[in-house]
Amino acid sequence: MRWNVLRSSPKTTIERAIGAIALVLAALGPLVFNQYWAHQILIETFLFGIAAASLIFLSAYGGMVSLAQTALFGIAGVILGNLATRGGPGGTSKGLHLGWDPTVALVVAIAMTTAIGLMFGAIAARSIGIYFLMITLTYSVITTYFLGQVTLVSGFSGIGGINRYTPSWIGDLTGHPNRLYYVSLVAAVFTYVLIRYVVRTPFGITLQGVRDEPVRMSSLGYNVPLHRTLAFGFAAFLASLSGVLYVWWSGQIAPGNVDLPETISLLVIAVIGGLARIEGAWLGAFAFIIIQNYVRGFTFPFLGFGGTLFGGSFNTVIGIIFLLIVLISPDGLMGIWDRALAARSRVGRAGPSAEAPARTGG
Amino acid sequence: MTEAPLETRSTEPTLRVWGVGRRFGGLHAVNDVDLEIVAGERRAILGPNGAGKTTLFNVIAGDLPVSSGRIELFGHDVTAAPARKRARLGLARSYQQSRLFLNLTVEDSLYLAALGVRRGHLRPVTTRRDREMRERAREAARRVAIDDKLGEMVGSLSHGEHRQVAVAMALASKPRMLMLDEPASGLSPGERQLLTDLLLALDREITLILIEHDMDVALRVAERVTMMHEGRVIVEGTPDEIRANEYVHELYLGAPQRDE
Repeated sequence: MRWNVLRSSPKTTIERAIGAIALVLAALGPLVFNQYWAHQILIETFLFGIAAASLIFLSAYGGMVSLAQTALFGIAGVILGNLATRGGPGGTSKGLHLGWDPTVALVVAIAMTTAIGLMFGAIAARSIGIYFLMITLTYSVITTYFLGQVTLVSGFSGIGGINRYTPSWIGDLTGHPNRLYYVSLVAAVFTYVLIRYVVRTPFGITLQGVRDEPVRMSSLGYNVPLHRTLAFGFAAFLASLSGVLYVWWSGQIAPGNVDLPETISLLVIAVIGGLARIEGAWLGAFAFIIIQNYVRGFTFPFLGFGGTLFGGSFNTVIGIIFLLIVLISPDGLMGIWDRALAARSRVGRAGPSAEAPARTGG
Repeated sequence: MTEAPLETRSTEPTLRVWGVGRRFGGLHAVNDVDLEIVAGERRAILGPNGAGKTTLFNVIAGDLPVSSGRIELFGHDVTAAPARKRARLGLARSYQQSRLFLNLTVEDSLYLAALGVRRGHLRPVTTRRDREMRERAREAARRVAIDDKLGEMVGSLSHGEHRQVAVAMALASKPRMLMLDEPASGLSPGERQLLTDLLLALDREITLILIEHDMDVALRVAERVTMMHEGRVIVEGTPDEIRANEYVHELYLGAPQRDE
């Protein structure tokens, strides 16, 4: 093959081509896809992809699997709802209704969520593996019950009508859902580019060292808990973007958006996409949302269950798909993709591959 | 190598260890050890398996806290200091099980080693200083002759290459004191020769402490040898004195399973 001189370049070329096609399709989105696809499936894919990317970033580059990303996503939404909305006639929505300028509210919501993430991170940073997982699960549970029980800021019914209070530079989203489509797309591309950039900076390379060998890192002079804490804060920042987009999209946020099933859903998205590569975040979100949208009404033949109870047959179907993907490829759909490409290039070269095994984790 | 005359070198201790002990439950892995190492010295620590050599390294480097005693490094009391503070004073070490960054490239690993003792770990932007660190990383790779593998993932390298990377990582931070834990283990005779040459050519400013099972490497490089057994220092002397010591022979050199 002509590419042989530049190692690993066929893969990069194919991926760049696919990425470019996806980006062009996404940019033309509302023209190419029907309304349901553009305004439901794709916006959801973009915004849940950002939340999943924050989880995958921590996992792939920091070696930390966090269950707190959904909680942070919700915290950002709730803060924005409290700051931006005004209590109006007929408004049954809970919350403080401070009626701040939406731009200020947006900045404060993101900043506060990042700060809470840093605090969460500082506590969890000294734990690893299952202990880290449990601590972050605790954050998720605490957040759900805090929002449910503190009726001043949320209550179980949550805050509604948030999408009516958007910054003037974005404009009305309810009347012009294409605006939200592009805002979400830009945020998703921004998140992807930012992560790809950050992992090559001193901070990012250091984080990968911490992932591989924390003990070695301290004896090289690094403050390992501080690095983990800051990485967690960065991931909280990304999760907050996703939370803000979510409340602009759905208009409301309630404890039910951050509870255990939702926390697990985000983990499922990240695992289906693949915990080792950032691209997996949007791939996983897309697969998840497609399945969610199209199998809801599906009834299992002979077994007869399905229908609309307990989310319809969706949970069963997604569970089976999740199981299959994890069994076939621990690195999710991106892992299957990597292996397919590796196999293809082996066949292409028709000889023993001199290349290292497909690397995972950055 | 001929011994450098001691008078020309500073005799100020780089490392002082007083009555250091480390217990694991009922086991005294290191027991009441005194050690004094002057600047620029080449010291080998020998002893059979389980003598406490690596544990002594771990407490000196700060990877393990001491159970008793005091440690002074470059004139600072570091008994309670974390490993990263000791690294910043100029101490670099390697590990017996190499503890390498298997998912990073050789260059990134050496870059991390060079950056660790500097400021700016948390910078989310790449600057000119990083180019300097990368140059330093490549220089360390050249010193151990691994510069042809700079772009390779560490996880894809051979055992011998892992040992080279481990030594290069210890060098990349430009340390004042270098502690190597069995750098020659698992190396081919040719690789051992390269390693010995590298250690002999090491800048005299750098103090070197070496744990080594390979007596050829250890006794050629070291000027003084500390012999440990069951957590204690039993003999200290020049390589010739160690070779001549009957107790050492009985304990180690004459043992049927000479570890070479």
